[in-house]
Amino acid sequence: MTKFVVRRLVWTVPVILLVILMTFVMMRLIKGNPFRTSERAIPAEIQQNLERKFKLDRPWYVQYANYVKGVATFDLGPSLVLRNRDVNDIVKEHFPKSLELGALSFLFAFVFGIPLGVLAALRANSPLDYGSMFFSNVGFAVPSFLVATLLIYVFSLKLDVGFPTSGWDSWESKVLPTIALGLGPMAYFARLVRGTMLETLQQDYIRTAKAKGLRWGRVITLHVLRNSLIPVVTAAGPILGFLITGSFVIEQIFAIPGIGRYYVTAVTSRDYSVVMGLTVLLSVIVIFANLIVDILYGILDPRTRDART
Amino acid sequence: MVVDPRQEQLRVEAIVDEERTFDAGTAAGAPVRQTNLWKDAWFRYIRNRGAVIAGAILLLVILYCIIWPFVSPYDPNAVTFADKNQGPGLSHPLGTDAFGRDLLTRTALGGRVSIGIGFVATLVILLIGIAYGSLAGFIGGKVDNGLMRFLDALYGLPYLPFAIITLAILGNASFWTMVIALSVASWFTTARIVRGQIITLKENDYVRAAKAVGARWYRILGRHLLPNTLGVLVIAIFLELPGVILGEAFLSFIGLGISPPDSSWGQMAEEGRRVYRIVPHVIAIPSIAIATLVLSANFVADGLRDALDPRTRET
Repeated sequence: MTKFVVRRLVWTVPVILLVILMTFVMMRLIKGNPFRTSERAIPAEIQQNLERKFKLDRPWYVQYANYVKGVATFDLGPSLVLRNRDVNDIVKEHFPKSLELGALSFLFAFVFGIPLGVLAALRANSPLDYGSMFFSNVGFAVPSFLVATLLIYVFSLKLDVGFPTSGWDSWESKVLPTIALGLGPMAYFARLVRGTMLETLQQDYIRTAKAKGLRWGRVITLHVLRNSLIPVVTAAGPILGFLITGSFVIEQIFAIPGIGRYYVTAVTSRDYSVVMGLTVLLSVIVIFANLIVDILYGILDPRTRDART
Repeated sequence: MVVDPRQEQLRVEAIVDEERTFDAGTAAGAPVRQTNLWKDAWFRYIRNRGAVIAGAILLLVILYCIIWPFVSPYDPNAVTFADKNQGPGLSHPLGTDAFGRDLLTRTALGGRVSIGIGFVATLVILLIGIAYGSLAGFIGGKVDNGLMRFLDALYGLPYLPFAIITLAILGNASFWTMVIALSVASWFTTARIVRGQIITLKENDYVRAAKAVGARWYRILGRHLLPNTLGVLVIAIFLELPGVILGEAFLSFIGLGISPPDSSWGQMAEEGRRVYRIVPHVIAIPSIAIATLVLSANFVADGLRDALDPRTRET
């Protein structure tokens, strides 16, 4: 097991280097200049000075090496557009809000999605099953911006139950964004759990447990649930992707000053170091989440240790 | 792309396939009625009521988008302020937007763009996936190992930031730049599926036989291996399509969509967002159109998988 974890950990290093390299190359392919726009022409000397200041005049591999060194020491460099601001400052300011939104949505999805899937599986092919599966199919297909605007329209404007329509400070302001972002992952959880539950219910050891006279409730909690929830761990990867993508839209609608919203601002203002820093940050988070999932899965299901390195 | 559970399952199966040694040859039984895979699959598909309905809805939506703009009495771009922000009614079945434009007509036009981008980007994703996956699976050995390691590294990366950067590289957002941006970070799953399939197929006796009689590599690949991945690819189209269409909608919604006057469903939703407090139907209609398409494509994918690959049938 230790060998598996070490191998998996070591493998993460080249993966991160590769992802940084890819982002780096893509950023360099963007045409246009952060210092000079069509409205704001600047003399060549100043241009050169600026490039020297941000070390943009060095060869690309030196820039890349510097950047990797920066990432390793948790320094994502200065912002090219906002004077006296580091990318780190921007991350520090905006990231906690996105993290909180993501965590709350995940919690929401988990707390409501899992029981929904369990209920559907236990009452397979009943109206309850069809209803909850219809609900989760729809929840997965409806774009989050519709969910978000409908929630605002119904709860804030029509019913006026006191949920603010924007911002991220009081707990009331967090309810609607959490539901809007969490609905998709919740549907995902429900479907996944229903599938794995149905599979587990057909296993021989369930029949054995039943045959030896165990109470059904005990069989469910002790045997079925435990073994059905293992595959759910793998859902963490796709769900994280879903949450990141969704946060771009949800933060926009609810005017939450998070990473997703700032990302778009940075792209339009051509603040390349911010765009790059945020992309690398998001990618590294995903890579580490995959790492944790793989290790966790290796612990929970020993059969996978050799297959997934 | 937004990865959905079934796609994840396909991926896992692709991994399992890699390890599975194929036990060839079942017991030779009585001669059976001759049929072929596609005929068989068709019969299985039409027995699945949900999939048939979903397929019909998908077809209807596509036909509506193609035909309605020709038939409609309204000019989709004609601004009539007297009619602005009307709810659904007799003269405008889906109402009008802030410029008094008929939404039934505009939704059809937007659908052309959204579905068009969706299908083209899906095809691009498939082509890249086929090329990459068959290269890795067919050559095998070190090349396969290296290519798959690379894919593992990229797997699960959030596609939206990379799509946004791609749009920034390409400059303006048009039909084709959207296609490229949406394909650039979305082909990993398809590549993996194709590779898994090729690896499994390669071990089949008929491939060995072909090799033994001296068939060249391109003949083996083109005649024996790729045609047999067709089933999986047809499923993959309908698995990828929803994600791509949602991706386009997200990009448009955050203001990075193709430029007006062309409009996609995502852009119509973005326009609707500005007025949803007064007239929520303007954002609801294109969003429901997206949801309908995504939902029916999901069901079609399910039906196709059950029909083409009974091995993976859901319980």
